[in-house]
Amino acid sequence: MSISIQQLAAFSPLLIVDLSVIVVMLAIAWRRCHKMTAGLSIIGLIAAILSLFFVSGDIPAHLTSLLQVDGFTLFYSALVLIAGLATCIFGYSWLKEHQDNKDEFYLLVLISTGGAILLACANHIATLFLGIELVSLPLFGLVGYVFQQKPSLEASIKYMLLSAGASAFMLFGMALLYADTGTLSFAGIASGLGQSMDQQPLLLVGIGMLLVGICFKLSLAPFHLWTPDVYQGAPAPVATFLATSSKIAIFAVLVRIFIEAPLIDLPSVKLVLSVIAIASILFGNFMAVSQTNIKRLLGYSSIAHLGYLLIVLVAIKDRQLAIETTGVYLVGYLFASLGSFGAVSLLSSPNRGQDVEEISDYRGLFKRRPLIAVVMSLMMLSLAGIPMTLGFIGKFYVLAVAMQGSLWWLSAAVVVGSAIGLYYYLRVAVSVFLPSLNGHVAEVVETSSLSIKAGALVLLVSAAIVVILGVYPQPLIDCVQFAKPW
Amino acid sequence: MDIVFYVAAAIAVLTTVRVISHTNPVHALLYLIVSLLAVAVVFFSMGANFAGALEIIVYAGAIMVLFVFVVMMLNLGGEEIRQERQWLSPSLWIGPGIISALLLIAMVYGINSLQHGAIHYHMLGGKSVGVSLFGPYVLAVELASLLLLAGLVVAFHVGRDKTKLDSMEEEA
Repeated sequence: MSISIQQLAAFSPLLIVDLSVIVVMLAIAWRRCHKMTAGLSIIGLIAAILSLFFVSGDIPAHLTSLLQVDGFTLFYSALVLIAGLATCIFGYSWLKEHQDNKDEFYLLVLISTGGAILLACANHIATLFLGIELVSLPLFGLVGYVFQQKPSLEASIKYMLLSAGASAFMLFGMALLYADTGTLSFAGIASGLGQSMDQQPLLLVGIGMLLVGICFKLSLAPFHLWTPDVYQGAPAPVATFLATSSKIAIFAVLVRIFIEAPLIDLPSVKLVLSVIAIASILFGNFMAVSQTNIKRLLGYSSIAHLGYLLIVLVAIKDRQLAIETTGVYLVGYLFASLGSFGAVSLLSSPNRGQDVEEISDYRGLFKRRPLIAVVMSLMMLSLAGIPMTLGFIGKFYVLAVAMQGSLWWLSAAVVVGSAIGLYYYLRVAVSVFLPSLNGHVAEVVETSSLSIKAGALVLLVSAAIVVILGVYPQPLIDCVQFAKPW
Repeated sequence: MDIVFYVAAAIAVLTTVRVISHTNPVHALLYLIVSLLAVAVVFFSMGANFAGALEIIVYAGAIMVLFVFVVMMLNLGGEEIRQERQWLSPSLWIGPGIISALLLIAMVYGINSLQHGAIHYHMLGGKSVGVSLFGPYVLAVELASLLLLAGLVVAFHVGRDKTKLDSMEEEA
């Protein structure tokens, strides 16, 4: 088997990210210089984003039986690369005062981004597993990056142990799928499903175990217990990455599996996914109401958002609409999460103990840091799904998908969930404009340095995208229609 | 070969149960080594010689020996055994146990439904494994190396000796 240059060229985003991992590693071995490491990582990620435009002429392309590139891959690669880039920029200003080694942060973010791109390319169970592990293994280190602080270390250990358990489930499920169908490619499993599905209990057990693992990584409702603790313990830039890149990539590969293989035709799978979706929406929103810590609140809110998205899988019969909904919703979720977690990380520093994360700390923020305050409240409005923001368009699409598929229970859950969500999102959005309570807030006051300005620029761009695409979503919809896996 | 398979599989299951239920860490690890060896025998009985050899060399040989050394050096015993015994109280494991038993029933039912459910001896040597690893799966091998790199970086960052590093920096 030979691999031609043209084939490799189609995978240049993945190759560029992996190359920059090696370059950054060698640069660290040569000299530890925070500025240089961060610069190299950011250049690598930007080069990978630019390469997406050159690749778009060569699609669809296949590389061995493991990988393929199509519009779907390019779109989701772009999303995870943007998430990685924003994480590096937020990480730079956050780490600047960190006393310990700073350079490994970028190395791990790059490896994890590479894994996320791999997931977007996957059309084989082996690449699916490698991708999921490549995304989550660096995250163990990133979540526990400031292991001198107890919550960070605790979050890391929790995430590692539970994640390993979920991976074991997933591997076992893959083994059962292989035992039954004799192949590991998505297409092969799909054709195995085609023949008399009710007579294959082993296949069902395998699919169930695979879904357990994936639902854990997406923190959907009965597998969500780790989410708030890990989000709270993780440093703010890492929480940004955890909430965006890993979830987007894993959801993208899940959509690809469900489009390739008619899993939703199995009544049991449909029922289980519907129950998980409703449970995630209700549980995530109900638990978020009582939170006073903004990272925990965003953690619970991400459970609810993934629950909304899961409806797309239940209604995947209408492929075109399902793909559009996933794309629009995930773009909205990406930029709203970047904005809100980015604001937390720009205000925090590892030197000042824990991150600025109590909602009461955010009172009076408008007076002190008007830009961050406005972005923060805008992002909360978008997450809540208020009209004129991208979050509204996404939620509108989800409701349209649910109605189209006559999924009344799920539509009702979306409505109830959004109503509850409005309460806690608005609470945060309003609190930044309230006068501050007496007491010292340990936030970063320096505003002049370049790193803070770069972070603020990312916030501004996210806010602009959320508002502009919320008012005029047509460019995004055109872009999403290009992102087809067929 | 069927008898070898079943005997080895039974040993693997029983010793793994003892790994979990034993209160002395060193004894539990020794049972784990036996369990890994039994799994290797299962591989051999099905003709997967390469996988069986790797199981012995990597798991039973390298990793478990390291584990045993570390646990022996930590000199656990006494206090830990009492704590382990406390953690093994039925109220803690009965719930997960029942759920796992249900899962086991579902899986046994699933495996029984297979039509081609016989144990075949099919010789699979190192050469054919190598051909597929460096043929269609060569990218997976490369990506797995990246995974190892990530593990190494994480282990280095979290596990390095902080005090030693500081003194080295001072000398420099």
